[in-house]
Order: sequence, then C-alpha cells, then structure tokens
Amino acid sequence: MRFLNAFTAVEVSAHCDLPCGVYDPAQAKIEAQSVKACIEKYNASDDAVFKDRAISIKEERSDLVKHHLWVLWTDYFKPPHFEKYPQLHVLFNEATKLAGAGGTKGSTDVAVADQLLAKIEEISTIFWETKAAA
Amino acid sequence: MSSSRAFRPLLPIGQVIVRGRSMEPTLRDGDRILVHWGGRAEAGRVAVVRLPGDRPLSVKRLTFRDPGGWWVERDNPAEGVDSWLVGAVPEADVLAMALFRIWPDPGRITHPRRAQ
Repeated sequence: MRFLNAFTAVEVSAHCDLPCGVYDPAQAKIEAQSVKACIEKYNASDDAVFKDRAISIKEERSDLVKHHLWVLWTDYFKPPHFEKYPQLHVLFNEATKLAGAGGTKGSTDVAVADQLLAKIEEISTIFWETKAAA
Repeated sequence: MSSSRAFRPLLPIGQVIVRGRSMEPTLRDGDRILVHWGGRAEAGRVAVVRLPGDRPLSVKRLTFRDPGGWWVERDNPAEGVDSWLVGAVPEADVLAMALFRIWPDPGRITHPRRAQ
C-alpha cells in the first residue's frame, strides 16, 4: 500500500476555508483576524524587515476585509433587509471605514482591529438572522 | 488526524495534485506536481506542509525561518489561509519540497509576483 504512494497523487489543499460562491461574513472575519494578528506581530517585533512585511500584509488583508464586506453589502443584502434593519447601511459604512486608511489599513493599534471585528460581528448577527428568516 | 499525521511515503519522490486557488498564479487547481518528501526546506520554495489546526495537507510557499518553524504564505492574497492567520509551521510539518509541474504545462515552479 505504501509502495503505491509513490505513484498515486496525494491531494494537497490550496483552498480557502470557505466554499466558493457562498455568502458568509466569516470570510471578512478571517481576514480581519489576520489583520489583528499582523498588528500584534508588528508591535512585538524589532526586526525592520519583518515589520515591513507585517505592514504590507496587514494592508493587503485590510483591503480584503473591505472587499468581502462590499460583496455582502451589495450582493447578499436586498432592499427588504435594509428596510428591516435600517442600521445596516451605517454599519457597513463604519465597518469598511474601519478597514480603510482611517482604520486598520493605516493604524497599528490593536484596538482598531478589535473595533473592526466587533463591527463585523454586528453585521454577522444580522446576516444569520436574515438566513434564519429566509 | 493521527493517521494522516503519520503519513510517510515509501519512496522519497512522489506526485501531488493541487486543489484550490490559494497558490495562483504559480499553481492552479488540478496541477500535478512532482515533490521530494523530506527534501531540504529553503526560503522561497514551494512546499507541502501541514498547517496548524485540523487542516488538510496544504501547498504553500516557505517565506522565512521563524522561532516556531517556517513562516508560510499563499501566492494568491485573495484566497486561502497562511501563517499570517495560523502562525508558523513547525519544521517537522514541512513534509515535501515541490520540484516541478508534471502536468499540465510541464516545467519549473516559478517565484511569485510579490517576491521579496
């Protein structure tokens, strides 16, 4: 059996953890957690190269948070949702701002990343309420 | 989990098939790669690793050595999971070095766009 291993291809994953084509605020949350981890590692490091890398990855992942939030905002949520949850537009606006240049993209403060995560959590709660109602 | 952790092929050379898009544009879904199990890990190379947590065998790029092992990154920032989320991969969990693509488009596995 082990001999066959040399000839049979083993599957190796290069997947995102989420199934494609499915809406889930977890996607924004994972990237926001990555942003928070980058900030923590940036603050804990004395290595200039590592810090540079942490900053560039943090900016990249902050953009991805925005992207995933925008997908939810513009593609998933429909007019009836915005009627039922009138705070949704403001929530998305605040959340995407928290991932932007005025938020985690520009800041190295862990508290900003926590605010972003809390905002995504609020959106997530509404998201799952709409799923349960559907 | 424990059985896959003990995964160790008989021959040092084998092939793997890539699933997913986290290594695009270097590797694509369905690519067959020749790998060297137990090959020497070097920064910049593509490797088969076991990511921390209950995750399947994954293909990632080794970026640099960290006190906790190897820091791994995905080539495609829009997809996937890497060390910025899960931390460094212990040395023992770096299982194989990618040698070259067998099929389709046989050839060398190149470096990513955002190389250091």
